Parts: sequence; structure tokens; C-alpha cells
Amino acid sequence: MTLLTIVLLAGITFFSRYLFLHPKLPLRIGAKVTHLLSFSAPAVLTAIWVPIIFIKDNNFNTSLTNPYLLAATVAVIASYKSKNIYLTLGTSITVFIMLRLFFS
Amino acid sequence: MPLNRKQAYLIMIRKGFIAMLPLNLAVLPWGILCGSLAIQRGFSILEAILMPVLIFAGAVQLVVIELINDNTPLATILFTAFIISSRHFLYGLALRDKLKNLPFKWRGSLGFLLTDELFALCGESKALKGKLKLVYALSAGGSFYLCWLLWNIIGITAGSYLPDLTNLGLDFAIAVTFIALVVPTITTLPVLITVLVAGFSSVLFKIADWELGLVLSSLIAMFCGYLTAHKQARLNIKRNENL
Repeated sequence: MTLLTIVLLAGITFFSRYLFLHPKLPLRIGAKVTHLLSFSAPAVLTAIWVPIIFIKDNNFNTSLTNPYLLAATVAVIASYKSKNIYLTLGTSITVFIMLRLFFS
Repeated sequence: MPLNRKQAYLIMIRKGFIAMLPLNLAVLPWGILCGSLAIQRGFSILEAILMPVLIFAGAVQLVVIELINDNTPLATILFTAFIISSRHFLYGLALRDKLKNLPFKWRGSLGFLLTDELFALCGESKALKGKLKLVYALSAGGSFYLCWLLWNIIGITAGSYLPDLTNLGLDFAIAVTFIALVVPTITTLPVLITVLVAGFSSVLFKIADWELGLVLSSLIAMFCGYLTAHKQARLNIKRNENL
């Protein structure tokens, strides 16, 4: 039963990724929609990461003891200043681990 | 000395791998969490391995493991997975014109590999044009697939020896990866507006507990970015007319 569920789920994820790549789909994307879609990467990625930082157990958490918020602030600054993904990951994850170890 | 075709492909394979490497490493804790959670929630080793092999989607895997463990009805499980996956429709739409006329081996493989991470690498306008850039994308996406599988297998192997990892804050690594991908791309006002609206509305939808919030807030943000660009263009035309 679980195996069947996994196969069906695989079908769903592949369908969602592949559907609009299919040539037979009767769909033409005009210049306006192309322009609109050019904003999809920053939109979706931000809509994924911001709730991880600000929401704890369905509540808005902006307290200064929220390690997510402090470490994410470090990440935004590091990324803005350096544009280097390793430096951003390294500094902010170090800060995050320190905060979790010493302040919670 | 000019490169022959094979050498050029090898260079693109290496470049794709190097570009994806930080993301491959950033999902290590998340992959271990998915693998070990499956074992801790009573999945067989085969079932636990088939999840990254076939489903290949961290958020779906994590949610589904808990749902199956709670004996949730199949229809609910599938519907939830569909909602979580629905953001991928946007990726497919955004890449449609570049990929739809290629042979199925490219569409199928890149479609299967089209995660948030691969889309983040290939979302720009110059990506995926020409065979070399397709090889680059395939290498990036393929290496991400193999790493995801490997991290899951580590989690499955360590499985019951590991403590429950769900509350350790491993999702922070995901968030910070996306910060590192998004922040450098904020070079224009429309993108800044997109990011601000996406952040604000996604938090509101999340608090309201709307399952479709991710896709809705993305669409609203994209629209706001588009409108800003439109307004800017019109202002520029007016300014030029006045000169």
C-alpha cells in the first residue's frame, strides 16, 4: 500500500514539473506572460524562505531571541555584501548554531 | 587550441556541478532528516529509498511520511502533495518556450530534475539556450539528484540511531540557501517589490494556514513586480517625450 502511494506521489511531482514542458499542450505564452514569469524565481523562493524565518508554530515570531531571525539577518547582509553563497551559508549557519547552543 | 565537442561538454559538466555544489551541501541535513524520519516512522528500507529515487521532493517527502504514519486517507495524501508541488507549474511555464521543442530526452530529464534549486540556477533569461547550457543544467540537476539520494541513504542507514531531528531547525539551511540565491538578484526595483510582496504575503497566508498560500503569494508578488516594471517603462517613455 505504501509502495503504491509512493508511486502515485512520484507521478504527481513529475506531472507538476513536466506538464508545461510538453509540446502538445495547446498553450502559447505571449510576451506579457513571459515578462510576468521572469519574476517567478525571486517570488517563489522568497515565499518559501520568509515563512521559515518568521513563523514558529503558526505564530509570527519577531522576538530578538528567535535564532532564525538573527541568523537570517546575518545571511541577508552577508549575501548583499559578498554575493558569495559559501560565505553566506558559512557565516549564517555558524551564527544559527551558536545561538541555538547558547541561548535556548 | 579550439575545444572539440567532448571537451566542451566536459567543461560544462564540471561547471554545472560546481554551480550546484553549495546547494548540494546545503540540503545535506534536510536529506538526512527525510531518510531517518522515514525509518523512524516505520517505513521499510525499500520504501524509504524509493521516496528520494522516485518522488525526489523534500517538502513532499517530509509531509507525506507524517501523513502515511497517521493513516491519512490516500486521497488527502495525494491532494496535499499536489498542493505542495503546484509551485512547479510556474517553473514549467517559465521554461516552456526554451524546452518544449527539444527531444523528450531533454524535456523528460530536465523536467524530472526541475527542483526549486535547479530552477534557481536556470531561471535567468540566458539559461538553457543551446546544447552546452543544457548539458550544464543536466549536470547541475543530476548532481543534485545524486546528492539528495545519498543524503537520504545516510539518513536511512543511521535511521533509528539518530534522535528525532524534526525540531533541530534543519530547515534553516534551506531558508539561508534561498536567501543566498535571491538577495544577489535584487538589482532592480521590480525585483525588490516582488521579493517584499512575496515575503509579506507568504507570511500572512501561512498564519491564516492557507495550503495554497505559497503559490498565491508567489503569483501576487510576480504581478506586483510586473506592474512595477510596467509603470517604470511608462514613466521612462513620458520622460523621453518631455525632453
